This record gives sequence, C-alpha cells and structure tokens, in this order.
Amino acid sequence: MNWTLVLPELVLALAGLAALVAGVLPKRDTSFAINMGVFGAMLLAAVLVMAQPEGTAFAGQYVSDAFTRFMKLLVLAGAALGLLVAMDWNVKEGLAKFEFPLLLLFSSLGMMVMVSANDLIALYLGLELLSLSLYVIAAFNRDSERSAEAGLKYFILGSLASGLLLYGASLIYGFAGSTNFDRIADAVSATEGVPFGLVVGLVFVLAALAFKVSAVPFHMWTPDVYEGAPTPVTAFFASAPKVAAIALLTRVAAGPFGELVEQWQQVLILASLGSMILGALAAIGQKNIKRLMAYSSIGHIGYALMGLAVGSDLGIRGLLLYMAIYLFTNVGAFAVLVAMRRNGRALEGIDDLAGLGRTDPAMALAMTVFMLSMAGIPPLAGFFGKLYVFLAAVYGGYWTLAVVGVLTSAVSAYYYLRVIKVMYFDAGEALDARPTSLSVVLAGTGLFTVFFFAFPAPFLAAAQAAVAALVG
Amino acid sequence: MLTIGLGHYLTVSAILFVLGVLGIFLNRKNVIVILMSIELLLLSVNLNMVAFSAALQDLTGQVFALFILTVAAAEAAIGLAIVVIYFRNRGSIEVEDISTLKG
Amino acid sequence: MYVGAVFFPLLGACISGFFGRWIGDKAAQWASVICMALAAICGVSAFIQVAYGHAPATLEIATWLDVGGLQLSWALRYDTLAAVMVGMVTVASTMIHLYSVGYMSHDPTQPRFFAYLSLFTFMMLMLVTADNLLQLFFGWEGIGLASYLLIGYWYEKESANRAAMKAFIVNRVGDLFFMLGMGLTFWTFGSIEFNTIFQGVEAARQVTFAGFPVVEVIALLFFLGAMGKSAQIGLHTWLPDAMEGPTPVSALIHAATLVTAGVFLMARMSPVVEYAPNVLGFITFIGATTAFFAASVGMVQNDIKRVIAYSTCSQLGYMFFAIGVGAYQAAVFHLFTHAFFKALLFLSAGSVIHAMSDEQDIRKMGGIWKKIPVTYAMFWIGSLALAGVPYFAGYYSKDFVLEAAYAGHGWTAKYAFLMGIVAAFMTAFYSWRLIILTFHGTPRADHHTMEHVHESPAVMLIPLFGLAVGALFAGAYFSGDFVGHHWAEFWNGSIVNAPHNHIMHEAHEVPSWVPLAPTVVGVAGIVLAYVLYMFLPHLPGRIAAAVPGLYRFLLNKWYFDELYDRAIVQPLRRLAVQLWKVGDVKIIDGMPNGAASLTAQASGRVVRFQTGRVANYAFAMIIGLVLFVSIFLFGVGR
Repeated sequence: MNWTLVLPELVLALAGLAALVAGVLPKRDTSFAINMGVFGAMLLAAVLVMAQPEGTAFAGQYVSDAFTRFMKLLVLAGAALGLLVAMDWNVKEGLAKFEFPLLLLFSSLGMMVMVSANDLIALYLGLELLSLSLYVIAAFNRDSERSAEAGLKYFILGSLASGLLLYGASLIYGFAGSTNFDRIADAVSATEGVPFGLVVGLVFVLAALAFKVSAVPFHMWTPDVYEGAPTPVTAFFASAPKVAAIALLTRVAAGPFGELVEQWQQVLILASLGSMILGALAAIGQKNIKRLMAYSSIGHIGYALMGLAVGSDLGIRGLLLYMAIYLFTNVGAFAVLVAMRRNGRALEGIDDLAGLGRTDPAMALAMTVFMLSMAGIPPLAGFFGKLYVFLAAVYGGYWTLAVVGVLTSAVSAYYYLRVIKVMYFDAGEALDARPTSLSVVLAGTGLFTVFFFAFPAPFLAAAQAAVAALVG
Repeated sequence: MLTIGLGHYLTVSAILFVLGVLGIFLNRKNVIVILMSIELLLLSVNLNMVAFSAALQDLTGQVFALFILTVAAAEAAIGLAIVVIYFRNRGSIEVEDISTLKG
Repeated sequence: MYVGAVFFPLLGACISGFFGRWIGDKAAQWASVICMALAAICGVSAFIQVAYGHAPATLEIATWLDVGGLQLSWALRYDTLAAVMVGMVTVASTMIHLYSVGYMSHDPTQPRFFAYLSLFTFMMLMLVTADNLLQLFFGWEGIGLASYLLIGYWYEKESANRAAMKAFIVNRVGDLFFMLGMGLTFWTFGSIEFNTIFQGVEAARQVTFAGFPVVEVIALLFFLGAMGKSAQIGLHTWLPDAMEGPTPVSALIHAATLVTAGVFLMARMSPVVEYAPNVLGFITFIGATTAFFAASVGMVQNDIKRVIAYSTCSQLGYMFFAIGVGAYQAAVFHLFTHAFFKALLFLSAGSVIHAMSDEQDIRKMGGIWKKIPVTYAMFWIGSLALAGVPYFAGYYSKDFVLEAAYAGHGWTAKYAFLMGIVAAFMTAFYSWRLIILTFHGTPRADHHTMEHVHESPAVMLIPLFGLAVGALFAGAYFSGDFVGHHWAEFWNGSIVNAPHNHIMHEAHEVPSWVPLAPTVVGVAGIVLAYVLYMFLPHLPGRIAAAVPGLYRFLLNKWYFDELYDRAIVQPLRRLAVQLWKVGDVKIIDGMPNGAASLTAQASGRVVRFQTGRVANYAFAMIIGLVLFVSIFLFGVGR
C-alpha cells in the first residue's frame, strides 16, 4: 500500500478532524483561527499535490497522475479563494461560525477524491462527500428563507441525481462485472459488443454528472440555488465543484468508456449546444446579478463541454484550459459581488452596481476585465479559453458547435456589456469600503485574467501533460 | 415451480426506482414524502447491487451496498435538518410553497 | 528599434493609465507624448530600413502556443507593408497625441484619455505587425475595444454612450465573419501563420468548401469582416455616430488607423485574395458604391465632423475598389496619403470647434477666417489634398486609383471608375461647401461666441503643420516608390499580384484623358461650390426646395438607419415574437433601448420554464434522461 500517494487527502482529512475538535472546545471565538487553519491546510495540500508521486493505490481504487494533479490544484485554488472571499462576508452577516471553513474543507476533500477516483465506489463516496457539504452550506444562512429554500431545492434535486448515478453505477457493475474503471474499460472494448445494460448505465451516470456541472437539461437547479444561497457560497458553487465535476465527467467519458466515444458524443453535443444557447438567452433579462451569473455559468459549461464533445485530445486540452481560466475569472467576478454592500446591507441587483466606475474605479475596472473576459474579448484570458475549444471543434469538423459557440458568445457579450454599462454610465451611490481580503483576490484574479496572454506556456504544458496522462 | 432469477430482482428494483422518481415529481403535498421517495431510490439501487453481486459471485456489489446504506443515513439526516430550518423560516413544508425563487 | 516602435505606446499607456493619478495630469500627458514620439522615431527608422534598405525582418518575441495542431509565436513581422503602416501610424498618432495636449486641456480626466489613446495605438501596431491571423485578430479586437472606450469617453453624454455601443456591436458583426474566416483558414491550411498560408495557396485552390472554392469563401469572409471595421456600405452606420468622441479620437480612429485596418487586412491577405476573382468583383462593387453613397450624403450634412466622417467613408470606398481591381499598392498608397490629409482636416475641424466654443453645426458658423487664419490655411491644404488637386498628396494616390479602375477588367471596374469620377466631383463640392460655410459669409453664431473666437495654442498648431507637410508632399515624394516605376523593389514581395494580374503596368498606360479627369471634375466641383455658396448663397436652399425628395433622401443618409429598422429589425421583431427564440435582435438592432423590451420578452419565454417548483425541475431531469437514453438507442442526430 502506497500511503504517500494519498498524503494530500490525508492531510485534509486530519486537518478537518482537528478543526472539528477545536471548534467544539469551550473557547469564545475560534472561527477566525479555524479559517486560517483550514486555509493553511489547503495550501499545504496543494504543495503536497505538486509533490505527489504517480501511480494507483487501494487496489486500483485511486489514481494519481498529471491529470489529477492539474485538476486538484485548480480545485484547491478555487476552494482557498472561496474561503478568502467568504471570510469577511460571514463576519458582517453574523455567520462567522467554525462550520463554514470546515464544510469547505470537507467538500474539497470530496472533490479531491472525485478527481482521483478510479472506481465507481470511490467516485460515489467523493461525490457524496462533496454534495452533502454543499447541501449544508447552501442553507448556511439558517435565518434566511431564501437560503433555506435554496438548500432544500438543491438537496432534493441533488439526491435525485445521486439516485440516477447509483442506479447507473449498479447497471454498469452488473453488466461489466466490476466497479473498477480499468476492468470496465476491458468490458467495453470486448469483442462481442457492448451489453445494452452497460450503455443504459452509462447514460444514467452521464445524466447525474451533467446535473453536477449544471448542463442543459439538468441545469434547472442552478439559477434558484445560486440566487438563494449566500453570495460567497454561490461563489464557491460556481468555481471549484464545477471543475471537479468536469474532471470526473472527463475521466469517466474518456477513461473507461473511451471506446464508446461516438455514442456519448451525441449526448454531450446536445448538452453543449443547449447550455450555450440557454446561457446566452436566459441571462439577458435578469435583474439579480447572482442569477445572471448562474445563467452565465451554464453557458460557460456549454463551451467547456464542447471540448469534451469533440472527443479529441485537442478538445480535452481546450476543456482543461477553459476550466482553469473560468475558475479564476469567475472567482474574481464573484469577489466583486461579495463586495456589493451599502450601509451594511448586502446587495444583489445589477442596478446596485451603478456608478461604481466613479465611486470605486479600481473595482469597476476589475469587474470590467472579468466581464469582458467572460464575453471572450481578446486579449483577456477568456478569449483564449474559447479559442482553444473552438479551434478544437473546427479541427474536428464540428462546425455546428463552433458556429453556435461564436453566435452565442456574441449574444452573451450583450449582457456582460450591460453590467459594464451600468457601472460606468449610470449614476449611483458609493458602496461600503471593500475589505482587504477581497482586494487581494480581485488583484490576483484580475492580473491573471489580463496577463494570461503573455505567459500561457506553462498552463498549456500542464494541460497537455494532463491530457496525455488521461488518454494514455 | 417458478425460480426467481436475476431478471426478477432487476424488475422489482426497476419498479421501485420508477416509483421513487414518480414520488418526487408527482407528489404535491409534503416534502417528507419526497425524502421517503429518495430513500426508495437508494434502496432499489441496493437491491440491484446485491442481486448483481450474487449473480456475479463477486463481493464488490455488497460492499458498495453497505457504503450506500451509510451515506443514505447521512443524507437523510442532512435532508431532515434542512427541512427543519425551512419549516422554521416558512412555517410550511408544502411542496407547492417551495417556489419563491424562480425566473 | 522594431520592438520599440510597437511597445513604447504600451509603456506610455501604462504610465498614464496606472500612475496618472500619482504623477499628475501634466506628467501623464507628456509621458505618453514622449513615448509616442520615441515610437515614431523608431517607426520611421524601421520604415526606412525595411522599405529602402530592403531588409524585411521577423522578430520573435515569445512563443505563444506550441502544442498540438497549433504552433504560433508572437512575432513582429516587418515587411514593407507593415513598415509603411508602422511609420504612418506612429507619426500620425504622435501628432494627434501632441494636439490632444492642447485640445483636452480642460478635461478633468486627462490621464485616462491619454492611456486610451496610447493603448489604441499599441493595438493598431500589434495589428499591422502581426505575423499570424490570431495576432492580427488580437489587434483587431483590441482597436475595437479601445475605440469603444474612446468614443464613449464622455460617458456622461447619452449619445456618446449609444454611439460607442453601436460602434462596438456593428464591429462585432464584422468580427464574427473574421472569426469564421480564421476558422476556415485554419481548416484549409492547417495553420494561421502568414508564411504557411501564402505557401499553401496553390494547393488550396483545388479545395472546395460546401461546393465553392475555399479561397473564395475565405476571401469573402475576410472582406465581410473588413467591411465592419472599414465602414463599407451596409456596415457603415456606426462611423458617423462615432463622431461623438473627442475630435482627436476622430482624427486617430477615423482617419489614420482603425478604419484602415480593413484595407490593411485585404492587402495583407493579397496572396489569397488574388485567387478569388468573384470576391474581387464584389469588393470593387461595394467599394465603388460606398464611395458614391458616402460622398452624396456628405454634400448635405450640417455637422462639420460628420461631413468629414462621410468623406472618410467615401475615401475608404476608393481604397476598396482599388483592391477589387487588384491594385493593392494603390490602395495602400491612398491609405497612406489619406491618413495625413484626413487627420489634418479633423484636427483643423477640432481647432474650429475649439474656437467656436464647442459648436459643430456649420449653419451656425461663418465669417471667422480672419480670426483663425492658420486653421483656415490648414483646412485649405487638407481640402486641396482631399479633392485631388494636382501636386497635393491626394492627387497622386486618387489619380492612380482611378487609373487602375479604368485599366481594370470586368464591368465592376468600369462601374468603379464611373462612380469614382462622380464621387471625386462631389468630394470637391462638399469640401468647399464646408470651407465656405464654416469660414466665409456673415457670422451666424451669436455675439457671445464670436467674441471668444481665437486661434488655437501652439501645441495644437504644431501638429497641424506636421500633418500639412505630409498632405503637401507625401504624394509627390512617395508616388514613385509606392505605385511608380520602382514599386516592385519597394514592396519587395510583401504584396503579391498573381501572374495574370498586370494592373500595375496597365494603369500607367491608360489614355491621357484619364489622369486629367479627376482634376477636371475636382476643379468643377470647387467652382460649383463657390458659385452656390459664395456668390449665390440663396440658391442652395432653392435647389433643396425644388427637389425635396432627393434632398431628404440624402439628408437622411439614404434612409439606411431607417431601412435597417424596417427591413431587419421589425420583421425580426415579429419573427422573434413568434419563435420566441431570437435573442440576437439586440445585436442587429444595435440600440440598447429599441429592443430592450423585445429581448426581455424572448428571454422571458426561455426562463418561463424556470417555474421555481421542484417537481417541474425533477420532471425536466427525467425528460432529459429519457432524451439521452433515446439518443443512445436510436442514434438521433447521427
């Protein structure tokens, strides 16, 4: 048994247990210390991930390679940024409880298990650890009706999705004779044809994962939960779990079921097209900016799925880069939303951004950068994300995907521009001063978004290595 | 004499699964019923797992079933907790009422 | 030196953009002006070295993408074509920066203005020195973005805001085609690097795409992209509105740089475009029509900047039909001379506006030539060059464009020649109409304004002198190299004429009346303007009254905006209501207010499914699942 392989996860788990103990100690306020501790644990885990050896552990249940490393670093970055974004907000809203960082920690652990899963059981456990944590933090603001409703909705639909996943997993197990991805791959590539039950099982699993990434037609929960949940929670929802779920989807589709590419491709093309179109159209009339971001994230998942739907190495590389860029841009944009607060009250309307161009030019500039990047306007990072997947689609001859992608990105540019317009051209009052932690996040993600074009090489190389590890 | 084989188990579990799914979206009354339907989904999966495990002469399915049972317990606890805070805020657990967030 | 020409403006933009607040307005201004001047020095010496030293160079700055099917580096490609553009852009931009120091002196946020201006210049330089299509697209979008910022610079003005939106959105329509063209190029040639593309043209001529030769399709897509940027008829509507920006912006964007990007693109892609004869015919037709259309509209406009804007539109039409007949050199030459005299005209107009306390309507001017003699003289020089009066810059380039059109083949070339001659007449006419109405006659401004009329400060006049030198001598000095007998060695292969294309020789051998014709009609136009506005000032009103239909037709710019509203926006609006899907009416409409309710409606239908009820969501999931299963089983869509 190669224990060093799971060292980052062990560190996170132990840190979680220690924080649990520290949290219930009869001391007055431990939340800040636990926040910092969890943050440190995440950074430590990230360092360990970089030093993680490659191989499999737990009798093939668990795998570590360049792909898992790339995705885990993204997940940890997303979770750590999410924690930073949330800290000040929680204090101001009276939600500074030690459970919050703890839940983020456990969900990160769940995501790392998901990313590394090489077996249906590990997949399920990781996914559930993530989902259960997310259900709770969606309803974290216990005294808010909206937050409770968001949690309840997410719980019901999420459980249904888990049910679908499990049913699919049971069929796959039954017809492939094993839960291990490598054994399943053997069964799929067997000469006497693929059993019908296996294919149905795959569809169920894909549907459940499509729910987690909120692709059309499994996206319905997204706008409601994003709107209802506390803003920093939404920020977290839109970043790290999306990346982890995409990683899992990619692993399942390209790994054990790589032979069935022509069949799952159709489904993913449909989901990608639907997500792009819905993301572009539905966001136009929104007044609540969190809801707008929800539809926008559905659209982004559509673009990302385009990379997977193309079914080529180039496409998967585009997908990985897209997710990396999306993660940072998104966290940055949400940091602005978290900072929207006037006279101590949190705000969520797009109109509440009015006048930001004059009252807080730095933040308005950052938001402009994020919005333009999401709209895919060069030379910002978002442009490259789209470029890689579009090029992959064109290269593979998937013209419909590429053309719809270009069209919807033009349409969606409209509502991103509207946000910019409101900030610069409408008059409004000043927001409360933004806390230092948010400034740090804004500066970091903003600089990444602006200057990605100057040094894309390391990201490209990492994504390339990840694809090579995945496809073999 | 009818021998009960894998096919029968699968049929029963498929029926249970469909019942669970129907229970989630046809039910207009009560959130608790939805929680019960979710349990039904998970149990049908367990039945599947155990049946396959027996048919394949392989223990993995039963181990998986045990994991599912454990997680289902945690899930039910969390679900009930969320329902409780929802009731505290809203004073109702009617399914129809859970629709203030929309658009 | 090569790097400096491109990156000094970026440095200037960073200094005044990021540190403007700390170092103060003055320092920020001069920092960006000095950076620009350094860039101009580098740019001009690069021009001399590349064009006259015959030493084209490609400078690699960084590897951009180096994996899979894509290998791109971020490189500066300095061949003659790029060097011409770099030299022209840096010099014109320096003049405009310097001028802005004076013009914007009362503005509260000067560092922001200079940062945008320098950023814009940088993006333009990126565009012209691009080594591959992606880098070119980068600059292409960059200048679009910067022009959005600059046009909407006075964001307190609702109209400026709207104009900025319109420019951005119309340009996005063009960009869409550019992107598709880029995609198709990649598909065809397996690369988007210019060298690889140009070498692969021979092979690509055999390839077809959807039944058409792929080269034609690519050329068409790029031209449609260029139409948006260069404001050709159909996608021109944003250009006159863009006059909402400060005047130096108009000079920079609408004279020297942004609008010429389309012409540059076609010249850059000449090795590909050459083999698309049908598209070339189309380009000729569009260019000629634009030249005529814009000139006719320019005759009746009353806003000083709008007249010049339409004249820009018209001159761009000349450049495009020069490309259409295969005389890319002539197009670039006209672009080059046009940059000087049009920038001069805009800056002089700015000086007039400055003097008239921000009045732009020429009906409220008049009788000010004695008070601002220098501006007046500059305006004359610019107009003489624009009208193509002999020995001014415009004369050489416009004459050659028209000669090439005469020598060109096919009916489109004949059409272009005819339209070009008519437009030349109208150009001369509206230029002098503008001069006379603005400077002569009885003062029509109120007393208060007239008292304040004053000549601009030296910092604004010096750039005028610089540009005037260009407008006076650029044509005579460079015509031998650009289009004269030395053109082959000058261009050094940076522009390619196919073996069957002898336009550059044929244009020199046209009948002797052809070169005379533009001059004759130009002088006739000037005389007519004098007669109508100087000696018989009541006549124009009567003519307008005699043909009210035509007058209104011209005054309303051929009803293009209305046509768009009727022909595209409204049917689509109906269609959208029926299909409740069409969200992009926004884009075609282009105006935030007009379609706001409609789009809200369309997206309202989409989000109607978002009922908020868990049961419906679960149902949707199950439907999706069933859909997925059936796709797997029946292979729908395969």
